[in-house]
Amino acid sequence: MAVAERRRTGAPIYEGSRIPQPTPTVLRTPPDLAATGDILTVNFGPNHPSTHGVLRLVVDLYGEDVTGLEAVIGYLHTGFEKNMEQKTWWKAITYPERIDYVSFQNNELVFVLAIEKLLDLQVPPKAEWMRTCLCELNRLHSHLVWLGTSALELGAISMFWYAFRERDQILDLFEMVCGTRMHTRYFQAGGLAEDIPRGFFPEARKFCDWMPRAIDDYETLLTRNQIWLERTQGLGLLSAADAVALGQSGPVLRASGVNWDIRQNEPYLAYGKIDFRVPVYPAGDVYARYRVHMDEMRESVRIVEQCLDRLETMEGDPWIADDRKVVLPPRHELHTSMESLIHHFKIVTEGYRVPEGEVYVAIESPRGELGCYVVSDGGPKPWRVKFRAPSFVALEATATCMSDALIADMIAIVGSLDTVMGEVDR
Amino acid sequence: MSLEDVPGLVEVKEAHGETTVVVEPTELVAACTYLRDEEGFNFLSDVSAADYLGWGRAGVSGYVGTPVGRDLNRPMTQGYQALPGAKPKRFAMSYHLLQLAERPRRLRVQTWLDDGEAVPTVLGVWPTADWHEREAWDLMGIPVDGHPNLKRILMDDDWEGHPLRKDYPIGGEPVRFSGEE
Amino acid sequence: MALEGRLRDAGMKSERLLWPTKGPSRFEQEVDDLERRVGLTTLEKAVAWAQTNSMWPDTFGLACCAIEMMSIVSSRYDIARFGMEPFRGSPRQADLLIVSGRVSNKMAAPLRQIYDQMLEPKWVIAMGACASSGGMFNNYAVVQSVDKIVAVDIYVPGCPPRPEQLMEGIIRLHEAVRAGVPPAYEIRSVAS
Repeated sequence: MAVAERRRTGAPIYEGSRIPQPTPTVLRTPPDLAATGDILTVNFGPNHPSTHGVLRLVVDLYGEDVTGLEAVIGYLHTGFEKNMEQKTWWKAITYPERIDYVSFQNNELVFVLAIEKLLDLQVPPKAEWMRTCLCELNRLHSHLVWLGTSALELGAISMFWYAFRERDQILDLFEMVCGTRMHTRYFQAGGLAEDIPRGFFPEARKFCDWMPRAIDDYETLLTRNQIWLERTQGLGLLSAADAVALGQSGPVLRASGVNWDIRQNEPYLAYGKIDFRVPVYPAGDVYARYRVHMDEMRESVRIVEQCLDRLETMEGDPWIADDRKVVLPPRHELHTSMESLIHHFKIVTEGYRVPEGEVYVAIESPRGELGCYVVSDGGPKPWRVKFRAPSFVALEATATCMSDALIADMIAIVGSLDTVMGEVDR
Repeated sequence: MSLEDVPGLVEVKEAHGETTVVVEPTELVAACTYLRDEEGFNFLSDVSAADYLGWGRAGVSGYVGTPVGRDLNRPMTQGYQALPGAKPKRFAMSYHLLQLAERPRRLRVQTWLDDGEAVPTVLGVWPTADWHEREAWDLMGIPVDGHPNLKRILMDDDWEGHPLRKDYPIGGEPVRFSGEE
Repeated sequence: MALEGRLRDAGMKSERLLWPTKGPSRFEQEVDDLERRVGLTTLEKAVAWAQTNSMWPDTFGLACCAIEMMSIVSSRYDIARFGMEPFRGSPRQADLLIVSGRVSNKMAAPLRQIYDQMLEPKWVIAMGACASSGGMFNNYAVVQSVDKIVAVDIYVPGCPPRPEQLMEGIIRLHEAVRAGVPPAYEIRSVAS
């Protein structure tokens, strides 16, 4: 089957399970094909323009068909978890951001939520809503980067510039609030590092007014584009049962027809009080994942608008918890209160202590379920931190999705799984 | 049909709103199959390994704390309120399960292992455990019985040692004027 | 010390060159050595002009810095005005290797392989703190500075550096090339 067949649009999801045996993550060439001697093993090495970051795929090709696939990862292993054990809780918050470097605030959020769960610390409502707002802006950012790079790899090169135009606007908003474009380190245990600056709300509103029109532009370019449809429909099929068995979450799971979104089913932050839809498409192919991403972008804009509505009424409210044992006291108190000075000193030099325990917190990052398992021994430094990265699990599904794919399809499929190698390798 | 019927159960703990079920490592696969089929935990979120070498050892300043409280007459534990309680063995493998339902439930299944003691693979129960178990082997050195492809996944193929263990040094270069290590 | 001299006349604006020197140090000696070798004929100037106006980078985005590197290609920061927007996938067609992101020990060998596959003259920019010095990751997994593997021309600090910062690094590289500074592999070898 060396020539591509024309795929029927709306191809049905397959019967049974396509998870390869015995190893779910390795697609092996069937022995009869291997015996023909026509198999070419190609290395899509760690440096490749089309794999998202440093992913290595060792692929067996029979003509243009992909008959065998194994993903080799670890080229970006940074030892985050071990490094975080050496730093105090406060300093360790800078590390998770770099794990999934496209949706950085979600990573900070999950670690900070884990600390707050262990500390049993209540976060003021203003901080909850602002965290929600920033995480949704980050979801938009992540989906825009995904859209730009995935479309670029499939040949729709101009999408990159359009997506990054909006992305720069979002980064301007981050810079206004948090001081820097990426890796903002704005969340603290207990709330936010600083108050929301004046001028943020009008700028954010301007962005929210503009963004739906930009998403309409993207959809005009791609959603009914014949080339895009032919390159994405019917590819990378993953049934709902296989997706659940393989631990998929996020857009990949929702594109296979499973209605599961942690924001909706296990609400955290302010999501329980916000009205938003969760897009679910049953087709289970690359096109369905694309549609899920686009619809999620629209929903994120709506969520941000609702957060802004609510935040504008909270002018002057506290943005961080009051517990001086964990949170730095406001600076003006240091001039008058001895206890504040001592608290400040202890927190800065030694760090706050988190009571003994273990906790697993999961949030819905743009890629799926991002989990953080934290073990504390009661001291100023974490004992063990483990991040459950959705991209790590998504790459486990490449072998299953790759049944009757061609080389060109492989790029589309790996792109649709929305992997960020920083997360995969940690 | 409750958590008390899990095969190989050692204890059930509740803390911070989370339930932890501790099972014997030999009965792990039976316990996981029971939880998947009878209790409906069809989604394995995460497999985490933790190394408790040196847990609860005191440092050198403050009042010493014991599990029953502080003793003002003996020096020093870096000001810990109380030393943390002892752990049964060195390694803990935690499986974080999730039930995808209208009212989702989360559960942690934990087994305790000594150095070199192997844990059976749960690949047959949830295929997603494949790479998680490889990572536990690679970074923590916990051997997994029955895994079809137990190779190093994040480190180089010829790397020696298991980096996330507590007796493995942090590595890197010595830095002047660094407050930490 | 012959610091006010040809490099500054050649238009280089690095502030290290403009600081009054207190005495010989390794950096000033290096600059001195350089200046003795600098001296461009008209033809070499023309070649340098051509090289800088069309220095094609290789897609070597590793981690977070790669996202900021991608954003200098975007329309706001527009690296195409320098002729550098075709990021070549093949190192054989690339002149500039922007190492953007942390280099783990496993990636060190492919990095060196890519660098070796590039044709001379080739330049290397170590973008970000992790490539310049290992960054915040002083541990077993990250190579503490990419100059242990390849010879680096320009280090761009930041975590991640803003696109304007990377642009500044690229512009300084262009100035250096136009002044006649040889690529790093001719001046120094890899660090120890």
